Amino acid sequence: MNYVEWLRVRNCLRIVAIILAILVVLAVILRISLARQLSPEGWVAQMTTDPRTKVTHSVLADGTKRTVVDDVPERTRVVIDDRGAAGKHIVITEPSSHSHNESYSHVGNILSSRTYGGVKTTVIDTNGSVPLLYYMAFADIMGLIVATILAAPFAREIDGHLEISLTKPCPRERFALGTMAVDAVGILVSSLLTIVALYLCQLLFETWRLDFSGENARGIVMGAALPVAWYALLCAGTTWLCRGYGAVLGFAWPVAIVIAALTQLEPSNTVALVVRDAAWVLSRLDPLTYVKLGGMSSATNDTYGGMGFGLRLSIEVLLLVVYGALAVWQWRRVEA
Amino acid sequence: MSIVTISNLRKVYGPVAAVDGLSLEVPAASVYGLLGPNGAGKTTTFKCMLGLARPTSGEILYDGKPLVPATLERIAYVPERSVLYEWMTVEEHLEMNRRAFRAFRPARALELLASFNVDKRRRARVLSKGMKTAVMVALAFAQEAEILVLDEPTGGLDPINQRHVLTLMINEAAKGNTVIFSSHQIGQVERAAEQIAVMDHGRLVLQGLVDDLKGDRKIVEGIFPDVTFSLDGIANDSRVARIDRTERIVRLLVTSGADEIASRLGSAGATGIRVLDLNLEDIFMYAVAPQDATTDIVTKESSS
Repeated sequence: MNYVEWLRVRNCLRIVAIILAILVVLAVILRISLARQLSPEGWVAQMTTDPRTKVTHSVLADGTKRTVVDDVPERTRVVIDDRGAAGKHIVITEPSSHSHNESYSHVGNILSSRTYGGVKTTVIDTNGSVPLLYYMAFADIMGLIVATILAAPFAREIDGHLEISLTKPCPRERFALGTMAVDAVGILVSSLLTIVALYLCQLLFETWRLDFSGENARGIVMGAALPVAWYALLCAGTTWLCRGYGAVLGFAWPVAIVIAALTQLEPSNTVALVVRDAAWVLSRLDPLTYVKLGGMSSATNDTYGGMGFGLRLSIEVLLLVVYGALAVWQWRRVEA
Repeated sequence: MSIVTISNLRKVYGPVAAVDGLSLEVPAASVYGLLGPNGAGKTTTFKCMLGLARPTSGEILYDGKPLVPATLERIAYVPERSVLYEWMTVEEHLEMNRRAFRAFRPARALELLASFNVDKRRRARVLSKGMKTAVMVALAFAQEAEILVLDEPTGGLDPINQRHVLTLMINEAAKGNTVIFSSHQIGQVERAAEQIAVMDHGRLVLQGLVDDLKGDRKIVEGIFPDVTFSLDGIANDSRVARIDRTERIVRLLVTSGADEIASRLGSAGATGIRVLDLNLEDIFMYAVAPQDATTDIVTKESSS
């Protein structure tokens, strides 16, 4: 019954796949271009161009391949422990006039730097797992774009195809729910494709490990609910305002951004206060308002903006159901 | 036995009644023609029949039962204008119907498309108006439906394909299915339909078997030498149902005794007198009475 919507989703996913494939190809090109700079072997090769540098290779008892590069004139020493799939542990010791400590992690790499007594020691561990949250954020952007593209299924039927869609031997509610389900699957698949593409890029540069635990898991659930809830909002809007569905889709993002910005307004006078409060009320209807991929705890007492993960997710799901129901209700009333 | 029964159907759009108290009974295994000028309410009637529009009042029954989604499995519909998805290929439209209707036969659809010379690989957007009509006709006839509702099914088709569609319709009736169709091409309706209904301003103005409607009626036409002429007692003859006068030309619709009335018209001074058999176009024209500013019409009895 929903073959036409499936074709729409297929066409959309085809474009998504092409864009992501281009991204992966670009990553491959980048990886090849930077091969020397990115690999420890490249650094070693670069350092050993100086004849005064001494390089030694050895294999430790646990199978770790150790490479030690000593640049005596520069007083620099690099120890690279290659643990295969478990990543590399690199310690760089070099002279430094500055005195400071820092530590941060970047995707799968953990990097710490410490300076003491004029010697700077930098430790790089490439065996960390990549939090899936990072990818979910990108996947959500793709999911939201796809949701916006697909969000006028009923308006598109009303725009000249009701004689086909309403003469199928199927109750209108079933047709509507089937259509929205197909679109929801399309949105989630687009998010999944984005994660897969980003993971392929990760494999080119970083560790293969992914972190699905804790807030990552919660982020995945929230990240899946958000674009579908956004789709439901636009679907209801385009079905009720079917004659101007293009405008609804076109202005949805600017309006959402303006409303979000207005909620941050400093209430310097009465008008600003009223505008901010009105924007605040409107923002409560926007699924984007309740999203926070990171820093969410399952405990309600550890919250962001007064709301825990459970409450945020519940509101997302509630909005999805309410907007979906509004779209179906209007679809039932449509006449050719 | 009626397969479709429409009782007191009324559909109002704002202040306008598109269909106003329509009652029809469509017999099974027949070709039923619905005629009417533009805006008569034919398409709205079809839409109400198919659940595309909700009747303001009245009832539509299929075999005595109201329309439910499952009933649509038995009904094929060709709308007045193209409703094909422009971005989809013809083949994808076939697949769409195959998934929607259990009885749909893709092989039959392909056969019909081939007979209309439509390439199944082409997208709807590149098809001509006639080809789009042909695709919709092929989709409908491949559905193996008991009831075919065809709104202007020959629109945009060339005369050969128009004849092809008429043949398909007649074949469907011969197979025991029912075809309800509208057309502005009255010759086609006359060729295919056994029964007709004529609508005007949302109301039913004429209904019956085509042969019965023609009956013994004839048209007697004469030309007078001057615009001022007298029909003497002809106008009072009970056999003269209607008189149309356009300057020097007079056309009389007579229920019987056409030759005698023609003779009396000659005695009154008319020349070029002709006695014509009544065709469906005449029946239609008399039923909807298009009032030409230059025509003076005297209707003495209901055409029905």
